[in-house]
Amino acid sequence: MKFRFHDKTIEAQPGDTVAAALYRSGQRIFSRSFKYHRPRGLLCVSGKCPNCLMNVDGIPNVRTCITPVHEGLRVKAQNAYPSLETDFLSVTQRFDWLMPVGWYYKTFTRPAMWHAVEPAIRKVAGLGEILPSGPREYEHAWMHADTVVIGGGWAGMQAALAAAERGEQVVLIDDQVALGGQACYRKRMGPRPDAIIARIRAAANIRLLQNSYCFGLYEGNLLGVLQRAPHPGASERLIHLRAQQTVVASGAYETPIVFPNNDLVGVMLSTGVLRLLHLHRVQAGKRAVVVGKSLQAGEVAEELRDGGIEIVAIVDPDTILKATGSSTVNGIQTRTGHFSCDLVVICGPRIPDNGFVAQAGGRIEWSEPQGAFLPTLPPSNVSAVGDATGEAVANTIAPLPTSKRAFVCLCSDVTSADLCDAVAEGFNHIETLKRYTTATMGPCQGRMCQLSAIGVCARETGRSIGETGMTTSRPPNPGVSLGALAGPKHHPLRRTPMHYAHQDLGVVWLDMGDWQRPRYYTDHLAASEEERVLLEYRAVREAAGLIDVSTLGKLDVRGADSGKLLDKVYTHRFSDLPPGRVRYALMCDEGGIILDDGTVSRISENRYFVTTTSGNLDFVQQWLEWQICATGWDVHITNVTAGYGAMNLAGPKSRDTLRKLTECDLSSGSFPYMACREAKIKGIPAILLRIGFVGETGWEIHCPAESAEGLWRAILGAGHEFGVRPFGVATQRLLRLEKRHVIVGVDTDALTNPYEADMAWAVKLDKKEFIGKTLLAHAAKDRSRERLVGFVLQSPGVPEDGAAVVVDGQPAGRVTSARYSPAQLAAVGLAWVKTSLAQDGVFIDLRVNGELLKAKVTMKPFYDPEGVRLRQ
Amino acid sequence: MSFLIPCPNCGNRSVYEFRFGGEVQAPPTSAAPPGDWQKHRFNRVNAAGVQAEWWFHRSGCRQWMQAVRNTVSNEVLESFLPGDKQE
Repeated sequence: MKFRFHDKTIEAQPGDTVAAALYRSGQRIFSRSFKYHRPRGLLCVSGKCPNCLMNVDGIPNVRTCITPVHEGLRVKAQNAYPSLETDFLSVTQRFDWLMPVGWYYKTFTRPAMWHAVEPAIRKVAGLGEILPSGPREYEHAWMHADTVVIGGGWAGMQAALAAAERGEQVVLIDDQVALGGQACYRKRMGPRPDAIIARIRAAANIRLLQNSYCFGLYEGNLLGVLQRAPHPGASERLIHLRAQQTVVASGAYETPIVFPNNDLVGVMLSTGVLRLLHLHRVQAGKRAVVVGKSLQAGEVAEELRDGGIEIVAIVDPDTILKATGSSTVNGIQTRTGHFSCDLVVICGPRIPDNGFVAQAGGRIEWSEPQGAFLPTLPPSNVSAVGDATGEAVANTIAPLPTSKRAFVCLCSDVTSADLCDAVAEGFNHIETLKRYTTATMGPCQGRMCQLSAIGVCARETGRSIGETGMTTSRPPNPGVSLGALAGPKHHPLRRTPMHYAHQDLGVVWLDMGDWQRPRYYTDHLAASEEERVLLEYRAVREAAGLIDVSTLGKLDVRGADSGKLLDKVYTHRFSDLPPGRVRYALMCDEGGIILDDGTVSRISENRYFVTTTSGNLDFVQQWLEWQICATGWDVHITNVTAGYGAMNLAGPKSRDTLRKLTECDLSSGSFPYMACREAKIKGIPAILLRIGFVGETGWEIHCPAESAEGLWRAILGAGHEFGVRPFGVATQRLLRLEKRHVIVGVDTDALTNPYEADMAWAVKLDKKEFIGKTLLAHAAKDRSRERLVGFVLQSPGVPEDGAAVVVDGQPAGRVTSARYSPAQLAAVGLAWVKTSLAQDGVFIDLRVNGELLKAKVTMKPFYDPEGVRLRQ
Repeated sequence: MSFLIPCPNCGNRSVYEFRFGGEVQAPPTSAAPPGDWQKHRFNRVNAAGVQAEWWFHRSGCRQWMQAVRNTVSNEVLESFLPGDKQE
């Protein structure tokens, strides 16, 4: 296998990670540090430290030490210019005196100063850069189990088998590529327990998630799991896993020891060296110094010697003065002498990985014998086993010498001297110390530095480590990519039954919620929206137009108490509506605030047909069902929105058009304005409502969805001789504005009542009881502060929606809708103004393109104010 | 927020399947003064502890129900369809 590292081709062996293959090829520097751009090499080789972060296939901050190689990967270093080996910005470490701990807070004390340097700082701060990458697919999955075990080491495998033998459904999550934990890379642990691994693989009730990590244990025992490369079609899968019992078997991980130059390339954790040796057959160096307490260090030295690495010396951490070397380590200086080497193997403190117990609400306390923070009193549904409990952990805390080159936090270059300075400046609580110095806040989230930072804080404040305590464990840790959290790109899309008829006509679409609606029709010609809208407008006003209104919410309300329910939820009265009639319906909440509007048609004695605005259907249906909860009323509400296609034919020629297709008497004498009929049009059963949103004679026709496209085409065909055209939402918005019809949610907001919206006519306060009555009656008496008025602009131009209304130089309201009106030959619109201005003939100023233009207030429709055309 | 709500129809379900309907409050009488209705519409008890709430199982049975929840621990103590439990 081969992959690209900058302009080099790197050979990799099967099973290699990117970092292992690079190391084998001779690469030693893997990254440059965050602040001082110091060279950094591999440290933990287990995905826990920040040292191997690189850009892989365009994705920044990838932990290359746990990323398997694929053929053709493109790998690049980050945070280094021009190269990892020569990084110009490494000069910053010479100016470290200029950048003391908390220097941001100390230096950029005035906004002017910050603004001057911000562009330069933005350029050099931060880690990694997002490069163009191929498409990556993310998935979400949901899983349930009786028991989930986190960690596939010895303890985790035992726990999983025990639960499986009890007959439970078990999920075992392991962040490595193979089960076995330490046994995979520590020969001292004995041979890999292949028999147990085989039993786990064979158990029908154990589901194994390999190469997957948990990033948080949330409320309700919800475990966030990220599965890497679940299958070739997806790069990551985020699993929402719920289990009755969570067993934390995530083991313990090794951390560095603090001494001057402890970050040089070639200073590695013993587990890192062993992982390279046994998992990847790579010798990390030729001549090694092992740093550690005698027993532990002796075992590691023996294992390395067996692996062919010469052991120069075993050094007690207490005796170390510093590591030597300029970028790569070349020796260790101790009190007794200097040992030359090319590898320093650190046997550091082992930290039980039990953050999930803390996230579940368990207490974590310091235990002196183990030298570790351990879970006590875990909640009943969470338990810890193995090294996560501190079993077999016995740390002695090495000295933490104060030095400007002894790095505690490798992620953001915080030294032991920095921590001492911060404590001296008063940040003596571990939580404030963390926030001020940013120690434990980098990509490793404190894995490498937390214990050392607590140790320094404890020593400097004269407290014990237990008293100092640890910072709160918060998910997500390790980090999760935003793509995985966002999941697959599933955007629901709803199409009306006439969708393909629109497409055939040539259309520009408008997304409205989930729906796609025609904005205007193009006839497959290149023309501006203004021209097309004007064409459609003229057709409606002079001949007729046909618009798809299938997106309207449609509810079938049946039962003896239907009228009672509609009287309760709408401000108008519906129980007295005669069958065959339609009424405008305005819905308010208990506060008298407008929720929705639509129409209610009484089809028969116990059957109503209710329409709602397109976006509010779900809300209205839930609102109606809420109101009948536990009432015992005989009402049944069915959402028939998708079952019916709907179209509105409007204009002086609509009757002539429709007459060609139906035997229903369409004359105003037998089918007047605000009437409804069930009739067949071209043989298709339909509900016809004679209403007029756009202000012309017209019918809203609802028919079974499967027949809607045929009916649409039939009406356009029948109307061809009269000049009937299809029209879109853009034209409808203009037509309705000329009639001063309000769109709920566009011209009204979350505090609008019908009196303010100038719709007092729609509220029947003489009705016995309905939702909002008390506060509507109150609002009717009270002169509210604002009113929705119409205006006609007195000069050329069209205000934008939201434009300011200005009176005497003071803001006095806002425009909610405005369009150029061909009927008025000027821009018209709706605006909220102070009540004192809500009178015919008053002049207000509107801010249009930065200029103040005069507009005249009107309380009447701009077109056919008496509504004559509707009734023709 | 990732707790479970026991739906009387569907069993334990993630809270994300539900729409929150607010605290269960008896509305004032129709004769009550506007002030009472304003309080009912705009004021919340916002209890730190156990309270009865409306929930709508949007991604499930699409029924309104009431749940008794401890707002501190998000533990749902019981749930029932309105009318099923008459005090």
